Parts: sequence; structure tokens; C-alpha cells
Amino acid sequence: MKEVFAAISKDFETFGTIEKEGEVIFDKVNDFEHISEKRSRYAPKEFLIKRNENVLLLEEQTRRAVFGVKSCDLKGFYQMDKQILGKDPFYTERREKTLFVNFVCNEPCDGGFCTSFGGPILDQYDLQVLRDGKDYHIMVSDKFKEYFNDYREEGDSFFSRFSESFNSKMDVLPVDGLEGRMKWNSGLWKEFASRCISCGACNFSCPTCYCFDLYDDENERKREWDSCILSGFTSSSAGNVRKDLDERLRQRFYHKYVYFKKSKGEYLCTGCNRCVEDCPVGIDIKEVITHDYSIE
Amino acid sequence: MSVLTVCPYCGTGCQIIVNDSDTGERVTGYSKSPVNSGKLCIKGYSGLSYNFSKQRLKYPQIKRNGEFVRVTWEEAFGEVSTKLLGIIKRYGPDAVAFQSSAKCTNEENYLMQKIARLVGTNNIDHCARSCHSPTALGLITTLGAGAATGSIRSLEDSKTYFVIGSNTTEQHPIIGTEIVKERKKGKNLVVADPRKTQLAELATLHLQFNPGTDVALLNSIMYSILEEQLQDENFIESRTQGYTDFKTEVEKYAPEVTEGITGIDPQDIREAARLIASERPTAILYAMGITQHIHGTENVMSVSNLALLTGNIGVRGSGIFPLRGQNNVQGSSDMGDLSEWYPGYVPVDSPRVKKFEELWQKTLPKTKGLALSEMFDAAADGRIKAIYVMGENPLVTETAISDVEKGIENLELFVVQDIFMTLTAGAADVVLPAATSLEKEGTFTNTERRIQKVNKVFDPPGEAKPDWWILNEIGKRVAGIRGYVSPRMIFEEIGNAIPSYSGASYDNIYPTGKQWPINSDEPDGTEILHTKSFPIGRGKFIPVSYGPPAESVDEKYDLIMTTGRNYFHYHSGTMSRRTDILNRESPGPYAEISPEDAKRLGVRNSQYITIESRHGSIKTQARITNRVPAGIIFVPFHFDESRVNRLVGKKLDPLSKIPEFKVVAVRVLT
Repeated sequence: MKEVFAAISKDFETFGTIEKEGEVIFDKVNDFEHISEKRSRYAPKEFLIKRNENVLLLEEQTRRAVFGVKSCDLKGFYQMDKQILGKDPFYTERREKTLFVNFVCNEPCDGGFCTSFGGPILDQYDLQVLRDGKDYHIMVSDKFKEYFNDYREEGDSFFSRFSESFNSKMDVLPVDGLEGRMKWNSGLWKEFASRCISCGACNFSCPTCYCFDLYDDENERKREWDSCILSGFTSSSAGNVRKDLDERLRQRFYHKYVYFKKSKGEYLCTGCNRCVEDCPVGIDIKEVITHDYSIE
Repeated sequence: MSVLTVCPYCGTGCQIIVNDSDTGERVTGYSKSPVNSGKLCIKGYSGLSYNFSKQRLKYPQIKRNGEFVRVTWEEAFGEVSTKLLGIIKRYGPDAVAFQSSAKCTNEENYLMQKIARLVGTNNIDHCARSCHSPTALGLITTLGAGAATGSIRSLEDSKTYFVIGSNTTEQHPIIGTEIVKERKKGKNLVVADPRKTQLAELATLHLQFNPGTDVALLNSIMYSILEEQLQDENFIESRTQGYTDFKTEVEKYAPEVTEGITGIDPQDIREAARLIASERPTAILYAMGITQHIHGTENVMSVSNLALLTGNIGVRGSGIFPLRGQNNVQGSSDMGDLSEWYPGYVPVDSPRVKKFEELWQKTLPKTKGLALSEMFDAAADGRIKAIYVMGENPLVTETAISDVEKGIENLELFVVQDIFMTLTAGAADVVLPAATSLEKEGTFTNTERRIQKVNKVFDPPGEAKPDWWILNEIGKRVAGIRGYVSPRMIFEEIGNAIPSYSGASYDNIYPTGKQWPINSDEPDGTEILHTKSFPIGRGKFIPVSYGPPAESVDEKYDLIMTTGRNYFHYHSGTMSRRTDILNRESPGPYAEISPEDAKRLGVRNSQYITIESRHGSIKTQARITNRVPAGIIFVPFHFDESRVNRLVGKKLDPLSKIPEFKVVAVRVLT
């Protein structure tokens, strides 16, 4: 891996997961040893969608390689692609110039439910790394084959065996058919709303959320990460038609588990559990999946 | 690069990890933080864009012929120091006043009060005057320490929460969410608030009482506790003094008697009394609803009486939590930026001031200085000739604003040090561009007394400089200080000046902070205060009798207006209104008005109305909502285009000198 890292760092500005005051964050890295395998504190969305930037000027981006992304977080980008790749020029420019190296988790994390959406072995990736003791097994996309000319090729069997064993360690939530089960008038939404403080954590932590707001700042026009939980969301067009908080929370869950499924064929959720971890009032998206709507 | 630092907004003091521009300027809650465990509110996540605003002040400016002209730092320092020294020479040091800021670091606040006192005046004060000065005075009198008695984390051990005059989920959201979560688990929650806040909606019991009747409410709760003999006799006997006199006073407040004052049903009072006294430990949380009254200090002492009566102090899960509104209002008060106290709450007329004379090698002033609420009046009548403001916006935040304007006009020198050209900075003679808290190093002390390290993430724009650097240069020129090379050096001096900070160092408070007192007896700091005894020995009961607020309704002014913050904004809006998401969520001034009053007055939702008090009038937009009851309107104070503090009267709490921001008689005109 060291050599692969060295080769990649010749062509890319290299970033990776490092530990800082006990927290795993993304920063510039110069050697492979400093990269942490632990799950990062957040999904590294800011590599493709900056938290705040001037949109009057799109500069050519440098090529960046990001090591240590977890599969659940990386999967978010492939889901975003379906919606904004080729449409959002800022996202597209960065997406095309960024190489993600996802580290597959060896063990399930607390609270995560990725196996409900396929588990940590992804079928789309740049470089997918699975450590087995001292050895690394790597799945490489065609785009980056050049870095692996000198390495032995093995079949997919290691990955599929791993996947089977990993997935057997976690309970799979009943996501199938959720788009038909969820209820518009469920009491869940109002109960969530009674606790929610509109902090936006669920959006900001979500590896699949990409919405932003536009505003003018003197001679610049900027965009900034936005949250659909806020009443002013989309106010730059018609304004938020969802007047009450319970309606806005419901919209978020319906977007993830109903509308995206119906329009794009998959759920807009990777099971990362980040929205649950960052929610200050304990709203658990898993409850949306497991709730018994039939009794309402 | 990512940096661990502290959120610049409320006094909760959430720890945040901020990425620099190379890593996307992302903000994440620090999951190891004992304060916020990685959680943030919308201000934490979306509130930092003001740092990058193109409107930031980038160089020093001096007003010449009514226009601001860019100058060098040298010229600015020359102008300020020459004029200050001239004024001191001509009129004496008490002709000069300093206003520091709870948004600035401990180091900066320490430095500013030191400069004021070295030039010979105690005219040093700041915005704590308008928020928790009654807490400092009240709790120092009754318990010996003017601060929260427990930690945020200890709230998980409470069985009952009594929240009075605090809209916690909006103003201290991460503390509020602790209560939301615990309430969901079945804990008891009693909320006393004239407005129907989110916590009130979730409460076991909501006492929607009349504004300004806190003492009557609290005394009647204590009457009921005594009536049902729910008091903690053992605690009263072993830990307190003054019980008999207190009891005699409280016995006048049967709930049937106070109902006419507070509007609360006696059965609800008794139910509240049972929960608070029996379902222990009970944590009592309060904020501006208690303090911003002409009886603010008495309200605080009344809260303290309740805690002492029920033995709810010194045990995890119990205690008194005055929730601090600004990131460093606890610290700026600790630093002695109040006109009656030297650092560490040493009274200015106490023989203990000698300690500072030795530390600073100078004879120091020993008479009380002017409070923030008195400084502009003193300028208007000519007693004050120069005011130096750091990071405050008194034209928006002080009461009876027209007199503030008159005061400023009358000054020979008005210096404002800030990050933006605020309304107040616009009126200054000299404007000094400051760095934000993300652009400098220092410490903040949060609402639970936790001293936390503030670290630099970004470079300041243009020639803007950290406040400590600016003060250091001024101090060298006007106060004869030798000068500090870093905030660390100032913090070391703070450890020598304030005993409860003596064990703290930049190294040992990082990364998760430590709660004062931190000293040789408690090297790791102190999570719970008063576990065995009080700094004054026994806790003091102080008999408090009810007196009405300064203003009441009459035929003309038939509504009571109460003021406060909303979730999305912070004080005069200098920061939050230059932050896209926050400003979009709350773009302009408004007044919450009940459907009943709206109907009676013929006011429609979003209609422009005029609110008039006996002191002034403003135009604003009506927002019809059930959050306020009939007879009460609520107006947030963030908006300089509709300055609600124009309507607030000048009457002060005689003890703490805080104005009554919470009770103003008004009428609505359409």
C-alpha cells in the first residue's frame, strides 16, 4: 500500500483520515503510515461540495486523492451522481478530479446499518481496499488500473466471502417495500417534530445530501450548505411549501425512502447512521424503517 | 488542517472542529467534548460564514470631516493614545470609560480591565451588566460563587428540571436538547414562562405566569413546599442560615393570594412544589427571564432560596444553572470587567485590592465605576469624555437609545474596536479592525465554568488584528504596561490574579477544558460546587418580598412587551445577520402577537405595525402566534432597523443596575 500511496501522491494532492485529539478527520497526508483506518468523524462531502464558495468563478481544480473514506460515505457520492453529476459544474469538476480510496470496515460499527443497503463492499469505487491482517486486497476501477500493473490479480472470491461473513454479523432492517409502507399521516412525524430543534445535523452529516442556498456578498455570489429541515429552505425560488416542521421532517424521509426509490430505483440512504449520531434529540432514522405503519 | 476550538455563539461553549480553506471550511462537533458530545445547533453548523464576509473591517480608520479615512495602525494608536492621555490629564481618569465584551477572550477582557484600572478608573463594564449581573451579585451573596453549581453533563442525573425564564432549546440549544432527551425518558419538567416555548410544550407542567411576577411565583411555590412539609430539614439545619426570617416572609404567599398577581392556578403551584421538592435531584435552570428585571437580583436570590429549601444543591443532578447568553460571559465577568469588581469578584472597595496593586505595581482606584447602563448618560451630561468600546454595539443593545446617541455626540473621543462597521462603529471617531475568535488564540469560560482553549483556524482579513494585540499596543501607550508577547503570557498572569484559575494552563485545559475552581486543591477542576460547604460557610436564605415591575399596563399602553433573542440570531446581529442561512431563516424584525390581540386590534399576519411605549416607538411586522398569550407581545432585539431597545425604560435594578428588558408597557398602532 505504501508504494501505491507513493505512486498516487505523485499525481494527486493526497488527503487522508488522521487522528486529532481522538477524532478521526480528513487532512493532508504525506505518507501512508499516518492514515487512520478508523471510521472518520464525518462523511467528507466538502471535497466535492464546499461548505461555502463563490459561484461566480469556477477555477480549475487540482487532482486530489482521498484515502480512508468509509464505504457508506463513498456510496453517497455515487447516489449524488445520479442527481447532480454533469449538472452542477462545481461538483462535476471536483468529482472528475478526485480519487477516493475507500477502506472497507473489517467489523460492523455501533449503530450502522449498511448491510440493509448492500453492506460495505461496493460495486462502484475507485480503489476499494480491504485489509486482511498485514495484506491488502484491492479492487481497482479501470480508471486507475495503471497503478497496479506490477501486482498479482486475484478473483473476487475474497471480497464476496468477506461480504457474506460481514453481512451475517448485522441485522438487516426491513427496507424492502418501505416506499409502499410509509404513511403520510403517521404520528411519527409530529413526535419527531416535538423534539427537533432544526439544527440541520441530519443534512450536514448525511453523505447523500447535497442541497445548498445561494446569496450575494458584496461583489461575490456564494453558495452554502443548506438544510431542508429549515423553514427558509428553497426561499430563493418559491419558498418552502412545507410550513410546519413535521411536514419538513416527513419530506426528508420521503425523499430518501420513497421518491428517490421511485425515480432512481434505490434508497437515498447508505445506512451510515451519521444522522442518528449527530442528532441532539435522538431522532433515529431506523425508526422510520422499522415503525409499524399498519397499526396507524 | 483542522483545528479544535469553541463555538463563538452562546454560553454553552460547544467544542467544534473547523477545517481551514484547504479542507473545505467544514464545522463538526467534537465528539469527545464533555460539553456537547459532538452535537451542534444551527448556529454551530451554519453560523460561521460571517468570518468570510466581504464586509469585514480590514484596516484602521479615523473619521475626518465626517468621513472615515484609512490610516495605518501607528496613526490610529497615535490618535487614540494622545487623545486619551489628553482627556485624562484635563479631566481626570474617571472621564474615561471602557466597554469590554463577553464575545472576547478571557485574556482580552483581563487586559482591558487592567488598562482601565492602570489609567486610574473603575469605569470598566460590559454586556454582562445587561444579562447576568444579578446572578453574580445574587449568588455571591447567597452561596459565595456567582456561577452554575453543576455541569452540563450532571443534568443527566436529575429527576426533575425546573426551567424558569429560559427558552433553552432556542437559546442554549445543546443544553435544551439534554432536557428534551431526558423528558422523553420520563423525567419531570416544570417550565415557568409567559411564552409557550418548545420546552413548555413538552413539559409535565407549564406555569404560564405574568411577566415580572417571578418573586410572587417562587414564594408561592416555597409556601406550598412548607405547607406540605416537603423541605429538606436536614440540609436547612446543617448547611444554611437565615431560615427563620425567610420562612416568615414566604408564609405571606399562599398560592390563593398570589394567583391574582401571577395568574397561576393554586393547584398548579402545589403540583410544581411537589415535583421540585420531592422528585429530587432537581436542577433549576434560568436565564434572562429571571435577571432582566428591576427585581433581577431579588429574583436570583429567590431561585437560590428554592434550591436551599429543597436541598437541591451540591449533589449531581441538582443545582442552580444560570445559563449564560454569550460564549464568554462567565469568563469576562470572572476577569473583573464589571465596575464594582476586580478580577475574581474582589469588590473594588475591599482591602484585597492590595493584591492587584502588588501584582500590577500601581496604586489602583477603589471606588465603584459606572455601569454600562450609566455610561452614556454620564457622557450626555459631560462627566465622561471618552469611551473605548471593544466588540459591543450599544446603539442597538442599550435601553432608551436616543440618550446613547446624545452621549456619543457629546464625547471628545469614541473608539470602537469591532469586526464589522456596526451602527455603533459608524458613530465612532476611530474604528479598529479586530480578528474573530476563529482568527486568534485564547480561552473562553462557558456557562458551567469550563475554561476552554480557543484556537486559530484562519488568518484575519487585511490588517485586522486580535483584540489582545490591539489592547496591548494601546496599553503600552496609555497605561505603561510592558506588553505581552502572546495570549498565553496573559493567561499565566490571570492564574496569579484569580485563585480559582490558578491551576489552569494552556496545556492542561486542552483539549476538553477544565471547570473552575482549578487550583492546588482541585488540580482537575471542580465539576460540582458546594458539595460539602459554601465558600461563605453556610448558604444564606434571603427573605425576598414581591414588588411589581417598573411598568404596568394602563388604558393607553394596554399590552406588556417582553424582549429576547430568537433561535437564529445573536444579540445585535453583527455576526448572525451576516451569515446566510441564519439571516435567511430570520430576515427581519417582527413582533409575536396572540390571535386574540390581533383580532381585537384588527392586525393581520405580516402586517406592518407600530409599537409604542412610554419611551419611544418602532415599526415592525406582526407575527400572529399562539406562543404568546393574550396581553403579551414578544419582540426580538437583533434588528438595527427596528431597535426595540428604544422602547425599554431606563429604570434599573438598584442592586445590579440591570434594566428591565422583559417588562415594557406598550400599545400597538396599525
